[in-house]
Amino acid sequence: MTARRSLTRHLLAWTLGALLAVWVSFVVVGYMTGRHEADELTDGHLASVASLLLAEREGRFAGRGDPAALAGPGSLKSHDYQQSMSVVVWNATGDLITRTGDAPTPPFAPSEGFETLHLGNPAVPWRAFSRWDGEGHQRKVMVLLSERERDDLAEDIAAQIAQPGLWLLPVIALVLGLAIRKGLRPLYDLSRDVHALDIRQREPLRHAHPEEEFRAVVDSINTLAARYHATLTRERELANELAHELRTPLAAITLQARALRDEPAGAARDDMLARLERDALRAGQVLADLLALARASRTELAEAAQVLDLGDLAREVVGEFAQAAHASGHELSLACPGPFSVTGHPLLLGLALRNLVENALGHTPRGTRVEVQLDPAGRWVQVCDDAGQGVAAAVVQGAGDGPRVRALGLGLGHRVVEKIAAIHGATFSQAAAPEGFASCYRLEFPPA
Amino acid sequence: MRVLVVEDDDGIAQGLKAHLRQQGWAVDVTDGVAGAWAALRAEPFDLVLLDLGLADGDGAQVLRQLRAAPEGRLPAPGTPVLIMTARDQVASRIAGLDMGADDYVTKPFDPGELAARMRALVRRAAGRAQATLQVGDLQIDPAARTVQRAGLPLELSAREFGVLLALAEARPRVLSRAQIEARLYSWDNALDSNAIEVHVHHLRRKLGDGVIRTLRGVGYFVPENLPGDRP
Repeated sequence: MTARRSLTRHLLAWTLGALLAVWVSFVVVGYMTGRHEADELTDGHLASVASLLLAEREGRFAGRGDPAALAGPGSLKSHDYQQSMSVVVWNATGDLITRTGDAPTPPFAPSEGFETLHLGNPAVPWRAFSRWDGEGHQRKVMVLLSERERDDLAEDIAAQIAQPGLWLLPVIALVLGLAIRKGLRPLYDLSRDVHALDIRQREPLRHAHPEEEFRAVVDSINTLAARYHATLTRERELANELAHELRTPLAAITLQARALRDEPAGAARDDMLARLERDALRAGQVLADLLALARASRTELAEAAQVLDLGDLAREVVGEFAQAAHASGHELSLACPGPFSVTGHPLLLGLALRNLVENALGHTPRGTRVEVQLDPAGRWVQVCDDAGQGVAAAVVQGAGDGPRVRALGLGLGHRVVEKIAAIHGATFSQAAAPEGFASCYRLEFPPA
Repeated sequence: MRVLVVEDDDGIAQGLKAHLRQQGWAVDVTDGVAGAWAALRAEPFDLVLLDLGLADGDGAQVLRQLRAAPEGRLPAPGTPVLIMTARDQVASRIAGLDMGADDYVTKPFDPGELAARMRALVRRAAGRAQATLQVGDLQIDPAARTVQRAGLPLELSAREFGVLLALAEARPRVLSRAQIEARLYSWDNALDSNAIEVHVHHLRRKLGDGVIRTLRGVGYFVPENLPGDRP
């Protein structure tokens, strides 16, 4: 089994990765900026010292010290950023007038400005700035600073800028992790709810989950649960109806068989035997219909639909029931104005029509008029009955005499028809009864 | 003992009727809620066998009405009710028992088991735990429908046994002739006006005079403290 990926870890990794990238950029830029600024700082410093010395030469300082005094001790450092500067002074001809500091004496050159000189043995880089005194060029002053010292300062400044970023990174990462966990709490709640999903509950998710991002998921889960519930309810109802349809004749058979044990030969015994036979046939009929129902699903997958005339099929079914209707005192007829072409499974459509006719004959009193009506233009077929209205009183009084047509329970019979209708893309429903009839059940097919 | 069968399936109703009559029950059959309620209001029954899926409604409605009936409205408001139905889910059984049913069987059921459950319910309703009744030195077995005296069987007709059982179960109460008739005869039984007196007369001849006593103008009873009664 592959390890499950964690969205939290995924999100945390990406966020911290992004944070690290930004932070590294920040530190690098800070470092570079620190170095650059340190360079600028020292350059400005050099320029300042040079200007200062020149000012001293021009007599703007109070006293003039001797040259040896200029090369004063370098240990007078009183600040971290105080640097050890070297100063070299030449006259107009390039003779060294004075010098101070640790820097080796650079060669004289008349040019001015910033430059990096490699002095000493072995040569080390020195950053230098030189300048003549005014337009007369009487003295040239050069101030030097060791590049190593300058780099040390730059690194120190850069480190000072970057260091807070380095030690803040884990703190920010921790805070960010906590924020992500907190922010993802609705997702965790949903995940917990989905994990503990009880599909048998009508509202399977225990919490509402109002977040917009979850709406599709929550709606889908609730819709699926509702569909599952509806299916479950239908299945339960079907099972109840099947149980009733099958258990009832079996119970009757059991009781009559037991009663027959002690019943002496005679009319009562014959009557019990006849009932036993009827109930056994009824149980057989229920089983046959159940098998047909099961076959309906298989047929849908296994057999191709074909074009057939529903009028012919209805004629065949009505013909099959002619004797039974006559025996049960029903008036059965067919009203079919012309060919009615549909694409479907003749076996299943015949089963549906049989169920509708059986229901109409089996659940109405003697003398009831039952008619199978087809409308090719409207693309429907319906079975209507008048529920015994208009039956002669004498006929009604005879109700109960003679065999009744054994039909499935109305509910189960209709479920068979519903399933067949669904297979054919048709709808099955109770329709408004036309004049002279009390109830109608209609199968309506989609347009050809 | 008299049972009301509320069942809309003719096959089951007639099968039950035949079977229970052979077991010595007086059986009345009705096929719907309205008929059942009318019967329960009119006459006392020792037991009701109730189907839930009836033609004109849910059998549970009969049960609810029976259990909620105000005192004095029905001749036997505490009549035990045994539900017999095709609904086999546990939830249906729980609902049925919670509504006030005393027992529940699922179709198809074994007729022998049904009869045993019916006897148990009647026994429980009479406040007895034993399957047999001891009346003096008589031992009455309602299941086997036999009576023994000192271990020896007595020959009784079905009606005689019914009268003796009714009086033994009612002991020490007095039962009127009408009450005994109501327990023994269903609606479709032809009834002679002096049938009970005849059965009592035959019983006295077989059991002796001391077992069944007459309270003139009221009815019959089995006295307490007969010789052989357990203390």
